Amino acid sequence: QTTGLVGLAVAENPHERLRILYTKILGVLEGIPKDAAYRKYTEQIVNERFDLVKKETDVQKLQDKLNSGQIEEVIIQAENELSLARKMMQWKPWEPLVEEPPSNQWRWPI
Amino acid sequence: TVRPKNEVEQKQLCAFGEYVAEILPKYIQQVQVTCFNELELLIHPDGIIPVLTFLRDHTNAQFKSLADLTAVDVPSRQYRFEIVYNLLSLRFNSRIRVKTYTDELTPVDSAVPVHKAANWYEREVWDMFGVFFANHPDLRRILTDYGFEGHPFRKDFPLSGYVEV
Repeated sequence: QTTGLVGLAVAENPHERLRILYTKILGVLEGIPKDAAYRKYTEQIVNERFDLVKKETDVQKLQDKLNSGQIEEVIIQAENELSLARKMMQWKPWEPLVEEPPSNQWRWPI
Repeated sequence: TVRPKNEVEQKQLCAFGEYVAEILPKYIQQVQVTCFNELELLIHPDGIIPVLTFLRDHTNAQFKSLADLTAVDVPSRQYRFEIVYNLLSLRFNSRIRVKTYTDELTPVDSAVPVHKAANWYEREVWDMFGVFFANHPDLRRILTDYGFEGHPFRKDFPLSGYVEV
């Protein structure tokens, strides 16, 4: 039993871990305004993956269905998404543009 | 011969560019796709860390690898330096370019908290252009000589330098 990747240990009970992580992500997303695009798309991704995790109990078949590398990598990705959601709460990137650039800034050729 | 146009990849990159622009309207000023199928995001300098963390952590955009961090000097502009980040996604095999701007005196947020690889690249940009990076752990000269004065890659620095050798 091995992941095949250096430094990545095999996760025992990945379904439980993914369930906890996805519920936490959805909880953090509740704090974002409903019309933000980030909340919409992330909820869509998380719900899709959550449904797949709930339906499929075999680890190999779940990996094939998710089509996103090893289960341990999926767990790492979910942890990243959780930390990103928390940081998004502070940065609030759904607001309109902070400042317009000067008109010649992005003109190429000059 | 001319390189054949890959319409499918162009459409995919356009779609992804619109996706990212919809999620981060606060910082993204413009999105463009070159004719060689390269996606570029043009950012306000306040948004460097949010945009880079988003591109690194989001499930649809796992750009875990910082391939390059450079600067371009265009002296005729008000904000003369253009900082360019090249990111690579290993999961989706795709590249993206993030560009910001600054002038000579305004500091820019360091990308080191997001990508450890940015350390020496930012030292090089500081040494060669004079762009100061705030919150960099160790910003000092990396390529010029120890007592060197000036920033060589700027367009107003002469080719043979100021000091006779």
